[in-house]
Amino acid sequence: MIERAPHATRQPVPDGAAVRLTGLRKSFGHIDAVRGVDLTIVPGEVVAFLGPNGAGKSTTIDMLLGLTKPDAGTVAVFGTDPSSAVRAGKVGAMLQAGALLPDVTVCDLVQTISVLHRHPMPAGRAMELAGVADLAKQRTNKLSGGQAQRVRYALALVSDPDLLVLDEPTVGMDVEVRRAFCTSMRQFTAQGRTVMFATHYLEEADDFADRVVVLAQGRIVADGTGAQIKSTVAGRTLSAVVPGVGPDVLGLLAGVQHVEARGPRMSMHCTDSDAAVRDLLARFPNARDIEITAGNLEDAFLELTHSTTIEGHAS
Amino acid sequence: MSMALSYTLISARSTLRNGRYLVFTVALPLVLYLMFNSLYGNDTTDNGLNVAAYLMVSMAAYGAMGATITAGARIAIERQVGWNRQLRLTALSPQGYMVAKAAIAMLVAIPAIVLVFAAGAVVGHAQMSIAQWFESGIALWLGLIPYAVLGMIIGFVATIDAAQPLTMIVYLTLSILGGLWFPVEQFPTFMQHVAKALPSYWTAEIARAPLTHSSIPLAGVLVLAAWTIGLTVVGMAAYRRSGARV
Repeated sequence: MIERAPHATRQPVPDGAAVRLTGLRKSFGHIDAVRGVDLTIVPGEVVAFLGPNGAGKSTTIDMLLGLTKPDAGTVAVFGTDPSSAVRAGKVGAMLQAGALLPDVTVCDLVQTISVLHRHPMPAGRAMELAGVADLAKQRTNKLSGGQAQRVRYALALVSDPDLLVLDEPTVGMDVEVRRAFCTSMRQFTAQGRTVMFATHYLEEADDFADRVVVLAQGRIVADGTGAQIKSTVAGRTLSAVVPGVGPDVLGLLAGVQHVEARGPRMSMHCTDSDAAVRDLLARFPNARDIEITAGNLEDAFLELTHSTTIEGHAS
Repeated sequence: MSMALSYTLISARSTLRNGRYLVFTVALPLVLYLMFNSLYGNDTTDNGLNVAAYLMVSMAAYGAMGATITAGARIAIERQVGWNRQLRLTALSPQGYMVAKAAIAMLVAIPAIVLVFAAGAVVGHAQMSIAQWFESGIALWLGLIPYAVLGMIIGFVATIDAAQPLTMIVYLTLSILGGLWFPVEQFPTFMQHVAKALPSYWTAEIARAPLTHSSIPLAGVLVLAAWTIGLTVVGMAAYRRSGARV
């Protein structure tokens, strides 16, 4: 349970959004890292930022936090510029691996960041919430990867923020710790706080976010609930030889999204391959050489960048 | 401002808890002092200052200088592990950060001065009035200001791997050429001139003035001020060049 200190009573957000990104662009030399991102996050939402490496997740997060200036577009966090929101202690962020100062104790580290905020929670409380209270006297260079991640989480929590931004928080955590971590993250939102976390695990995005925003090649290519994204991104391919039946007919089968003909073999991209195979056999019992393969997530991301954007979320 | 102050105190405390820091900036000068003192401690210099007190100031300056430079140079580590990005996600302003870093460098020098002075009083039989002890200690401490800036410059220009060797080279060069290890009077004439242009010579020299009841040498104050101003100018350029990433 998380109680809020009296000073931090949530105030109505001027433009109603926790985060509003408009036409955001950023290039590094000739590499276009972010190529036009528009995104609105409502207070209380838990949003997963899903995408492969190099999709532009970290760059977008850096701009959202005011660490990097966008080449074009605007960032508003609770209606103000990101730096003001950060200075007011409204934003807590867990940066990607590396951001721990060596040769100091965990307790000193969390306290250092705590005194640099206007309305922090006690350092001990942040360590407790992040599950690192027992590591307080430990030096930062003696931590395992998963422990270091939880210390970073404590650093993000200690400002008692309204918006928590986590850049690949579960890297280096084993499955159990990851689960405990995600539960703690959910608890944090219980009273209407907003969380945005970057990940490249679809499962994690689906399990812990209300909303999944898929980023690929610097653009948002999908935005919807976990289930919606899952059916699109993680679809399976059913392939079979169906004598005398064309792709247009097979495209009408249950759960089939689209069909490609590869010689006599038909390749059917499915949102529900179970339904598709039942329907196929019911209608065309002579279908043979049936194969079902799971889509590769990276390929699915790339495919999404070329196909139409799914809009599952009211924006 | 109270924010930068709390940050300074916590950072200084965490530095003082670091074993490696204590060895190099407190234990080593202390041991060297006791060693030199047992060899030459009973002599008296030409101007009537006992050698025990002379050596005590030299070694306290040596340790304190090391602590100050090392503290600033730690910025190199902070920059390169991304810790500065974490600090940018707080309410600490870039100016507050700079002031805090300089203050930390000055604070962590205090144990070296206090402990070597204590050894001088207890073991070394350096005899002075209470006022002399304080004047000397404070003059020494204020004479460390240029090294606080110098350390921060190293922190802004050096990579993680280069910061430590660079710190050691600068530190040892200043210590030896400034006459902290061997009295400048034993140097060849040319090297004596070099010493008198270095801040390290004057840091020790202004701290010794109260011991012989002479006034603080103006030349020393001017040389130290010139170094501080020059280094600050270089430091601001180095800070900008480092991408202004605080």
